[in-house]
Amino acid sequence: MTEKISVRNLKFFYGATLALKGISIPLYANKVTAFIGPSGCGKSTLLRVLNRMYDLYPGQRAEGEVIFDGKNILEPGQDLNLLRARVGMVFQKPTPFPMTIYENIAFGLKLYENLSKSELDGRVEDALKRAALWTEVKDKLGANGLSLSGGQQQRLCIARTVAIRPEVILFDEPCSALDPISTAKIEELIDELKHDYTIAIVTHNMQQAARVSERTAFMYLGELIEFGETSKIFTAPSDPRTQDYITGRFG
Amino acid sequence: MSVSEHRVSLLAQSAADRAKVLVSMATGDRIFSTVTRVCAYGVLLLLAGIMLSLVIGAWPAIQAFGLEFLVTRRWAPQLDEPVLGALAPIYGTLLTSFIAMIIAVPFGLGVAIFLTELCPIPLRRPIRVAIELLAGVPSIIYGMWGFFVLGPFLAQHVEPAIVWAVQDIPVLNTIFGAEVISNISLFNASLILAIMILPFITAIAVDVFGTVPPVLKESAYGIGCTTWEVVKNVVIPFTRVGLVGGIMLALGRALGETMAVTFIIGNSFQIDGSIFSPGTTISAAIASEFAESSDVHRAALMYLGLLLFILTFIVLAAARLMLARLDKRAGA
Repeated sequence: MTEKISVRNLKFFYGATLALKGISIPLYANKVTAFIGPSGCGKSTLLRVLNRMYDLYPGQRAEGEVIFDGKNILEPGQDLNLLRARVGMVFQKPTPFPMTIYENIAFGLKLYENLSKSELDGRVEDALKRAALWTEVKDKLGANGLSLSGGQQQRLCIARTVAIRPEVILFDEPCSALDPISTAKIEELIDELKHDYTIAIVTHNMQQAARVSERTAFMYLGELIEFGETSKIFTAPSDPRTQDYITGRFG
Repeated sequence: MSVSEHRVSLLAQSAADRAKVLVSMATGDRIFSTVTRVCAYGVLLLLAGIMLSLVIGAWPAIQAFGLEFLVTRRWAPQLDEPVLGALAPIYGTLLTSFIAMIIAVPFGLGVAIFLTELCPIPLRRPIRVAIELLAGVPSIIYGMWGFFVLGPFLAQHVEPAIVWAVQDIPVLNTIFGAEVISNISLFNASLILAIMILPFITAIAVDVFGTVPPVLKESAYGIGCTTWEVVKNVVIPFTRVGLVGGIMLALGRALGETMAVTFIIGNSFQIDGSIFSPGTTISAAIASEFAESSDVHRAALMYLGLLLFILTFIVLAAARLMLARLDKRAGA
């Protein structure tokens, strides 16, 4: 199994506060890795290091190594825009851009590729199909992205991320604002997407982690407590804290 | 009295108390809603009253000149049979506001974008405070500074070069042409206006840019956008209603600004197509002539005031219309 991303001894600071206390973890290519743990354990922070989103905010910094295809992305001099195009992210709340459904997807494509109108149409359609949204929106591509329902908006955001053909997709609690039907659709989608992408998902929903992932990482207070095959983490965890968390005794 | 009877009477008493409280609350509610309603209707009444008194004041001039007032260039109140036309002040008002907007909108938005997206944190406060101070400078100070400092500087070091550079280019040599360059001109007034409205545009833009959810910006950065692309495609579209509102507020101020403009515009009722010539605006004309006017002349100045009122109203209406069309295009 190839390691698409290897995190090595990663420390993360919000100002003077140490939020990640030396994490080492691999993300395997074409697998889904789930991150679970109580709020504030650092799982979203870890995700935001992988595409260096934290760079937008002064006072936040990371130490250690994050090797992505052989290169340490924490080193200075990275092209962050390119990195973020390669490492896509889907957020907790749907965040459609203030433009039409079509433009929401075409916008990202036009940033990096010089496509003809027909190619662009094809890519938009393809992305919407991959996000299982095409049949619902194909007759109203000119409508504003904000006019869709919450679940549709989230799938639009996934389509937008998929359209630019990243290599890794990070999901930060993608279903926490959605109803069960939309959640099921997005889980199916993640299952579908892993054939082409490396996926990391942060979730508070234990069943979701069990359903969609091959590997699960349990984090607690900025430390990685346990990492392994999802089936093992959920049936025979080796650390008592993992056991307590997945059985709902704390967290 | 048995225990249960006692309790029943207590309950009855508390129910009566509650009814009393409810009645007094209902009265309070009624008073509150009446007061707010009176305030809201009061604004309408005030507006109608101002409009009406302007029309009454302007009536002799409306009767004398009618709609031709709008297209007459001549302004000769000293004649036995005065000839008065509003074209020059309308031209001056629109032109100075237009130039001021051309300068101040990009500049103000640029400052706001820098402050919200790019500025290092320690610099943020000083720049904001400086901009707020700029908004607090009284307009008479701007007028004096424009007259004694900025105007002479431009007339000596900047405007002659422009006049010289375009002297052989048709159209431009009319717009930027001038026989005599002085410290009073339409352009200088525009520049002062631009400086005066800049803080409005910046302050409002900074506030509305602050309403963009960070996660929305993050998702734009997340597909590989640069700061400029995030601003252009996410921040500005997301905030356009507020931005247009702020810009219109600034335009309203530019259209009506009196003191500073009166100082440096020259109060000359001429239209020669050059922005380096002296001119006048509606409010400057009213301010400089109202004191020694009478009869039809005074009525004509009231008429000018009415026109400014209508002009501002049209600008606001146009802004609303523009927003509605923008919304339609974005598919909302």
